[in-house]
Amino acid sequence: MASSLIIGQYVPEESVVHKLDPRTKIVMIFAFVIFVFFANNGWSYLWLTAFSIGAALSTKIKLRYIARGLKPVWFLIVFTFLLHLFVTREGDVLFDIIGFPIYTGALIQGVQISMRFFLLILVTSMLTLTTTPIEITDAIETLLHPLKKVKFPVHELALMMSISLRFIPTLMQETEKISKAQASRGVDFRTGPLKERIQAVVPLLVPLFVSAFKRAEELAMAMEARGYKGGEGRSKLRELEVRARDYLAVVVFILMIVGLFLLRDM
Amino acid sequence: MKNVQSSNLTKLIILSLLGTISMILLLLNFPLPFLPSYLKVDFGEVPTLLAALIFSPMAGVVVQLIKNGLYLVVYGASDPVGVLANFIAGVTFVVPISMIYHRYKTNKSLVSGLVIGTIIMTISMGALNYFVLLPIYSVFMGWTNLTPTFLLNTILIGVVPFNIVKSIIVSALFIPLFIKLKPWIKQKQMSYSSR
Repeated sequence: MASSLIIGQYVPEESVVHKLDPRTKIVMIFAFVIFVFFANNGWSYLWLTAFSIGAALSTKIKLRYIARGLKPVWFLIVFTFLLHLFVTREGDVLFDIIGFPIYTGALIQGVQISMRFFLLILVTSMLTLTTTPIEITDAIETLLHPLKKVKFPVHELALMMSISLRFIPTLMQETEKISKAQASRGVDFRTGPLKERIQAVVPLLVPLFVSAFKRAEELAMAMEARGYKGGEGRSKLRELEVRARDYLAVVVFILMIVGLFLLRDM
Repeated sequence: MKNVQSSNLTKLIILSLLGTISMILLLLNFPLPFLPSYLKVDFGEVPTLLAALIFSPMAGVVVQLIKNGLYLVVYGASDPVGVLANFIAGVTFVVPISMIYHRYKTNKSLVSGLVIGTIIMTISMGALNYFVLLPIYSVFMGWTNLTPTFLLNTILIGVVPFNIVKSIIVSALFIPLFIKLKPWIKQKQMSYSSR
């Protein structure tokens, strides 16, 4: 039961990457996703890979956790590689595998494109590995702040996201409790034909919805009693702050991009 | 007894919690035996549908947005296109159903809504996959040599049957659930529409 309550990928550590402002991380990762597509030769790919692995190592997270996050996409990376290996016909024939000629161009292209895919996944997963969901929500709220001008309800959505996040463990526990209670009454979720398994979910969902409404009413009342009246003039428990290390990280990142463009011409 | 503020805040929180339940149900997904593994069936649309039927189609869209937002924030953006697809599929499924239901408010209109929602969702997801999603995937994976025939076959063999089967499974769960919850839903609607 305890293991199923640990959700998400966040791994707490004391590292520079963890301490960076979440906004810095989001903006840099977004930029990286775009700049990956500018790599065009072996050297530029090697440069990006070195940077990404350096960044991954500086999070101090054990490699096996990072690899666990990559597990679902290994298959796609290998598949993409093989597809390019067999389909592309450029350059000289390198060797034959049971009648399939493998071209040098195909090998190079296959390696580069699966490398690009790997880098995209590695770098984007770094955000959720080093940043708590609530920090990401706060960062998105401030990044979307300009949208308030066009009447987009930024504060309300951020509040809803924080409440939802807060209740994930609670409601997971409740789902588990209800399913155990129903199982003890003889409801079978795991075996039997599909139709019966679907119908077994009904007695699980009914109490879950009813109790969610009850919780919502209680929480609303509690918030009102403490004087909640919308986003205007509301102070924050967690203030986001841009520090020296954020500027440093951005400078390193820009140097990396400059290096990438220099290597493109080699 | 309740003023406008409180009823709105309660509604906001209810939608958040339905979003949470929706994401939990999204995690309890299962692949269908005869389709590729990236197409998975889940009950994440059930709370969305419930919100849309109790409040308004827009409430359904908000729950769907919270669900996908939660997924991105907790599990990361390694597959943003898939999350976008899930969001649009949910919206195109739930909005027609709730619009039809709010017009007639009978069990029969729910069933016909589910049928029409399935059709609209299947067609729009087919079109979206053909014009947007699969081309984006092919750019990211470098599969540059996808022909229109190949795309069309993928959609007709994989995407369309998947969406139909998924909707049928969700409907098969939702109809008995809705009938069971109906008196309770009526009572909730009364207390939140009175303002």
